[in-house]
Amino acid sequence: MILGYILRRLAFLPLTLLLVAFATFIVLRLTGNPVDIFLDINRTPEQVAALTKRLHLDEPIPIQFLIFLGDLLRGDFGESLQFSNSASAVVWGRVGATLQLAGTALGLAVLLGVLGGIVCAVWRDRAADAVISSIAVAGQSMPSFWLGMLLIEFFALQMRWLPTSGYGEPRHLVLPAVTLATILLPNFVLITRTSILELMSEQFVVTGRSKGLSRRRVLFTHVLPNAVNPVLSFLGVQVGTLMAGSIITETIYAWPGVGRLLISSIFNRDVPVVEAAVFFIATAIALANLTVDVLQMLIDPRIRRA
Amino acid sequence: MKRRSLLASAAAAPLLALGKPALAAEKVLTVGAAVFPDSLRAGTGSFASLSLMTQTNDPLILRDNTSGLHPGLATKWEQIDPLTMRFHLRQGVKFSDGTDFTADDVVFTINFALDPQNAYAMVARINQIESATAVDKYTVDIKTKAVFPTLLRGLSDIIIEPKAYVEKVGANGFTAKPMGTGPFIFQKWVPGDHYTLTANKNYWGGAPKVDKIIIRTIPDGSTRVAALVAGEAHIIEEVPIDLIDQVNASDAKIDEIGTTAGLVLTFDPTIKPFDNARIREAFDLAIDKELILKQILKGHGELLQGQVLTKGVLGFDPGLKARPFDPEKARQMLKEAGYDFSTPVPITTQNGKYVSDTDICQAIAGMLNKIGVKATVNIVEGGVFQQMNNALKFGPMYMVGWYSLGDADFATVWYTRAGRRTNWNSPEYDKMFVAARSTNDEKERVKLYHEMAALAYRENPSIFLFGLPSIYAVDKKVKGFGAAADKVLRLSQVELGK
Repeated sequence: MILGYILRRLAFLPLTLLLVAFATFIVLRLTGNPVDIFLDINRTPEQVAALTKRLHLDEPIPIQFLIFLGDLLRGDFGESLQFSNSASAVVWGRVGATLQLAGTALGLAVLLGVLGGIVCAVWRDRAADAVISSIAVAGQSMPSFWLGMLLIEFFALQMRWLPTSGYGEPRHLVLPAVTLATILLPNFVLITRTSILELMSEQFVVTGRSKGLSRRRVLFTHVLPNAVNPVLSFLGVQVGTLMAGSIITETIYAWPGVGRLLISSIFNRDVPVVEAAVFFIATAIALANLTVDVLQMLIDPRIRRA
Repeated sequence: MKRRSLLASAAAAPLLALGKPALAAEKVLTVGAAVFPDSLRAGTGSFASLSLMTQTNDPLILRDNTSGLHPGLATKWEQIDPLTMRFHLRQGVKFSDGTDFTADDVVFTINFALDPQNAYAMVARINQIESATAVDKYTVDIKTKAVFPTLLRGLSDIIIEPKAYVEKVGANGFTAKPMGTGPFIFQKWVPGDHYTLTANKNYWGGAPKVDKIIIRTIPDGSTRVAALVAGEAHIIEEVPIDLIDQVNASDAKIDEIGTTAGLVLTFDPTIKPFDNARIREAFDLAIDKELILKQILKGHGELLQGQVLTKGVLGFDPGLKARPFDPEKARQMLKEAGYDFSTPVPITTQNGKYVSDTDICQAIAGMLNKIGVKATVNIVEGGVFQQMNNALKFGPMYMVGWYSLGDADFATVWYTRAGRRTNWNSPEYDKMFVAARSTNDEKERVKLYHEMAALAYRENPSIFLFGLPSIYAVDKKVKGFGAAADKVLRLSQVELGK
């Protein structure tokens, strides 16, 4: 049954990706002729002709899209204009760094966010709640480039505990992951807090308490398992935010990920790389959402039956 | 027990100390680069790319930090007829794989660059070359289609590639692992992160004074400065002007040089009323360039003297001076021209392409507002700018930096019809430009460039603003590094002290 659901969802994946492909394709063409942008003023007519042909820009738009789709099916985005390497290889080379950063940040945000949310809910309207909730709101309204600068200033320049930027060792990961996690963390605190508080007033909680179960027992065996799903569904939505946030974080900390690659490729209109990178990000988001949905089904029988 | 282990470690200590110097002596120089090309492909038009490629590969003619030319892989050269230059190559030079550098490599490289299939963007610098032929093992004749006075300067941007190696591994193989006669040898390339090279002990120009260099990309200006202050980088490029004080307060110092880029505000004379040279002049008078230089650029860079060329460039006219700031006269001139500036005049610019570019445009718009012109700032993304450029539709005014690279030819070309960068059209200017390009007589060329500058000063196709600075920050341990006008890293003689 779950398998059937997964298969059905997977069957829709190509449709999602097709829409993404279409949107990317159209936007890249709407913002001008890539040949005009990629080749500078010193270009020769031969170069223009060669690149136009290579990107199939001499064909009518619908044909171009079909060629693009055909290449896509074969996983071939064409050769990068600036890297002299296949676009998918260029993007793959950067995927590891982004997954490492985004994964750590997400883990950090969920862990600390859920813990914080529980504390806030349990000690509702007490000092701990006030402190954590205000920090969460403050964190949410802090631009990440500014937070990044503050963290570098304190941990790298004042305390000399961590490097300012770079990639390779675990210590390089700390500041970027914390910066990126801060974008998401406040939301996890607030979501967890709200859903626990809502559950606390549910009848089954009241019943449990009146049966004589301790507050703690009710919280851990009845409330928390039910609070997992709202947090999970929120997590699915946040993968997109995470990807967007990683672009800024990667730039601040010179992290060699897909986000920075995407920005530089857009500026240079390296069409094959932009398409491959957007496609990778879209696929990652779609798969993350699928995983979340499946997990929710596994956890909550009500969803399975619906 | 305890005593014994103490003794043992005491005995081991000198051994460790003996073993250590070899390791500790490895001198690693780390550079924080602002712009990092995405691959090690030769001949892409950017100087950031040339900066990396020249670590492993030398050109025939070397250029120094102040744009002077010196013998590189060619030791001398002579004009054997107006269209042919003979190059005598340095003998006994080896590529780092041990093969000899010969005339075949030069011919191979030039043919490779000229072949349109290879999309070698730097070919624009030598596009007047007709052919290159090997006369003997160490002599090459380069024939040009026309008289080509900037041939030597152009060749200083073309790195020589090893024929045998490139034929074996292919152009993509060379991109993946460049190899040449240069001061450093490829070790590791991580796209978007860093480039590691080791010293070429047999470098013909003298062995480098460090064992290893790591060129790291740090795209964000503040992070770059932080990395320098934290000691993670010894040299950083492109220090943001507002962070110069922070560098000076640390263990590093600022090293700065004027680039050859002239920042200009170019008009479109096909848009009324900018067809009127008097109105263009009035705009020039209305801008307090000294104030912008002092307040926004904090005194870094130079005031352009009524011409696109920066001081010291071949063709610079010391007789010309920037128009003085005179808003009263500007207002008067606009009144006389009888044009009503109620429609907005957008100034097109990119953001972050040049030092403080948008700030400069905002200030200029404010100054123009004071003489009754509704000037606005139109910030566009790089790709859009490039497109406007190709279509020559920038709106009435746009700001751009034009590099001369030491020779007037490269910057003045943008005012000609053939340069396709402005709608200003002066057959007289074009004629002088072609004349200056068609002679090898330097005196004659300079005279023509002075006349062209005078013409442009009268006609005002652009408002000439500033010569842009190239600002590096260098750790005090580093010796022998110099800020480069062309932003190419020259590291072979850099030392790393204690």
